[in-house]
Amino acid sequence: MTTLVKPSQLPAWVNIESLLPYIGTILLIVGASFTFPQVLSIDYLSQQLQIAAFLGILAAGATLVILLGHIDLSVPWTLNGAAIVATAMAGSGNEILIACAIPAALLFGAVVGAINGLGVTILRIPSMVWTLAMNSILLGISVLNTGGFNPKGESSATMSWLASGTVASIPVAFLVWMTISTALALLMMRTGYGRYLRSIGFNERAVYLSGVSTKTVVTGAFMIAGVCSAFAGVMLAGYANQAYQSMGDPFLLPTIAAVVIGGTSILGGRGGLFGSIGGALFITILNSILSVMQISDAWRSIVFGVIILAMLLFQTLRKRG
Amino acid sequence: MTEPNLPIASIKGVTKSFGATIALQDVDFDCYPGEVHAVLGENGAGKSTLMKTISGVLAPTSGTVFAQGKPVTFKGPADAMAVGFVCMYQELSLVPDLTVRENLLLGAPGSGLGRLKGGALPKARELLDQIDGEHIRFGSKVSDLTLAECQQVEVVKALIRNPKLLILDESTSALNSSVVDKVFDLVRAQRDLGVAILFISHRFHEIEALADRISVFRNGQRVETFRNGDQDYSTIINMMVGQRIDELFPPKVIPKAGAEPVLELRDFAWPPKVKPTSFTIKEGQIIGLGGLDGQGQSTLLQGIFGLLKGTQGTILINGSDAPKSGPLAAKQSDVGLAYIPEDRKADGLIQAQSINENLELAALGRSDLNATDHNIYKPSLDRLELKHGGLDLPVSSLSGGNQQKVVLAKWLALAPKVLLLADPTRGIDVKTKTQIYALLRELAEQGTAILLLSTDYEELIHLCDETHIFYDGGIVRSLRGEDLSAQNIIGASLNIPDVADHKGIADA
Repeated sequence: MTTLVKPSQLPAWVNIESLLPYIGTILLIVGASFTFPQVLSIDYLSQQLQIAAFLGILAAGATLVILLGHIDLSVPWTLNGAAIVATAMAGSGNEILIACAIPAALLFGAVVGAINGLGVTILRIPSMVWTLAMNSILLGISVLNTGGFNPKGESSATMSWLASGTVASIPVAFLVWMTISTALALLMMRTGYGRYLRSIGFNERAVYLSGVSTKTVVTGAFMIAGVCSAFAGVMLAGYANQAYQSMGDPFLLPTIAAVVIGGTSILGGRGGLFGSIGGALFITILNSILSVMQISDAWRSIVFGVIILAMLLFQTLRKRG
Repeated sequence: MTEPNLPIASIKGVTKSFGATIALQDVDFDCYPGEVHAVLGENGAGKSTLMKTISGVLAPTSGTVFAQGKPVTFKGPADAMAVGFVCMYQELSLVPDLTVRENLLLGAPGSGLGRLKGGALPKARELLDQIDGEHIRFGSKVSDLTLAECQQVEVVKALIRNPKLLILDESTSALNSSVVDKVFDLVRAQRDLGVAILFISHRFHEIEALADRISVFRNGQRVETFRNGDQDYSTIINMMVGQRIDELFPPKVIPKAGAEPVLELRDFAWPPKVKPTSFTIKEGQIIGLGGLDGQGQSTLLQGIFGLLKGTQGTILINGSDAPKSGPLAAKQSDVGLAYIPEDRKADGLIQAQSINENLELAALGRSDLNATDHNIYKPSLDRLELKHGGLDLPVSSLSGGNQQKVVLAKWLALAPKVLLLADPTRGIDVKTKTQIYALLRELAEQGTAILLLSTDYEELIHLCDETHIFYDGGIVRSLRGEDLSAQNIIGASLNIPDVADHKGIADA
């Protein structure tokens, strides 16, 4: 399954950093199969691909922002807000609103991303602070709207299909994830925009002095990340057949972890989408195997943290050596 | 001084290789107390590697370093500092986010891990005042200082460590000549106290003024060591490049009759740093900008390129108004501005990316150019003879001079009408300088207007057709022809009126 998609034509993208999470994933599955042979079953693996897709789509958007040397902490409530918008419209019973549910949710994500981008580029507020504030504001708006109860509404058939459907027994969610990742990888590799984006992560001043509208590039990346968060929200709502408060909260740190485990430097510049796909797979499988092992939540958290630290340590040591 | 024949620092049979590249090959070198020993050579000749070996940054692959006659093995710069070898590096080693005071105390004697003691500070203040640094406050953050001010702080930081051997590696490259003179006075005072000084500079007149002995390096080997004055200028250049360079500067060209103005500034200003400034560059002209640091000349270049908000006045390029909205507008073909920034390492290039990627960055935003077509960079790269191990390697693998060639080629691919250069040859070897000078002259003849800011007055004299000297935000004198002399440049830089009229007195 690691060879399903290689979004890059350049071998430089498929380096040891980006392959590491794939190797880790395989080791996890093989290791677990000695005790739990069911992890090798097609059903289990296909289910994991489906679940990994939610995290993977978030990580794809976050990769762009992290490559710039920024971070988007508004992921949880952008996701949640988009889910609420989509389910509210899909549950309205109005044909037109139902049809517009997904585009409206994605538009919501784009708007949040644009606000993030403008705050970071024009007001020059560090993205870590700005997006955290955005997350909090979105939470507040959502609570005001719903009175703190789970929002009314339901997912549309399309949303459910995106999250849980299959095509030729391959989960649709996985195909969506791969499509988004491939499209973004092509954007990064084949367009001037992608070149600018990677260059800004290394040295924003030099890029600006080369005659590039760096504000546009950064804002664009936040918008793409916002749309990705919204898309994950739509799919997650489709998966649960509803939107609920704090549905995005468990995704924030795994999203960042997936990107960083995939070899993208948290300081910007180095890395890419191929690694992030592996990172999302690794984290999903790790989570799943830890729960299959039926150990206590406390130990699960500890083991999860230690393994992620070990991966990052390995990446760091390798770069030094 | 008790044992005058014992060198303070010497190396014997030192070889240093980085992979396949041999940076130093079987080098013997001595530095005696009470002498200023200048090291000359092109970029990549091994000068910086020599300095780093002596100051403990690099360990030699083979051979031995001696401190006062005893063989030593340095594990790092701290070991070298313990025997009194203090180095002021070419790459500034100040921490940008700390204040001047904190930087001076970093690793200074008497300030250990515990409480910071300010014992060295009065001395530092005194030294800083001696080299025109009165305006540098200890409380200022280093990131707020100009490059020249940073170098002044670096000089002081090295001196307050009471060195036995002081290594100055391109330490004065951003300083203007009057500050350099004062730094040299300090260095001479140190020498007279018995300190050995190792000095790297690319400016011949600085070496002539300061050095007692000169060693020339080429391709990792020491070619010769001689007393200052024993060899003439052209012999030294021949030793450095291993071939004859008759002329460092291309001959000036008499402008064509009826040459059209390419760039015209009309009352261009950015209050309060740049006062209303007007001048014209005609086809075929190279115009110089000189003056002390921070007199508005570098701000003016940034303003023309559109980097500043709220500039006033008019910029005309080939008679039409240029937008002042920023680099993206400035680089379009209808405007045709190109700007070579002062700090090529940080502002001109993305060090971690490949040479190719760096070349493409400026052309990418131009719809009329295909940035991935490498034929648009090739003429400039060939013209400048870029030395590289492959265009896919990171630009950081190149020497300083070759990095500047990449910056130039990146912008020349856009065929700019006006080329703005901020001190493009700072810290670059003689051969590359010559290539850049010849290229600039050629471009001028082809009709590109060239505006060259320089801290090296030889460039302002020999390369430029006219030089405007800035003082306090405005042009105080425009020098051309016979008037374009070192004395007039220095006089105008200090805003001494009518130096030319008192030339006889100044000479006397």
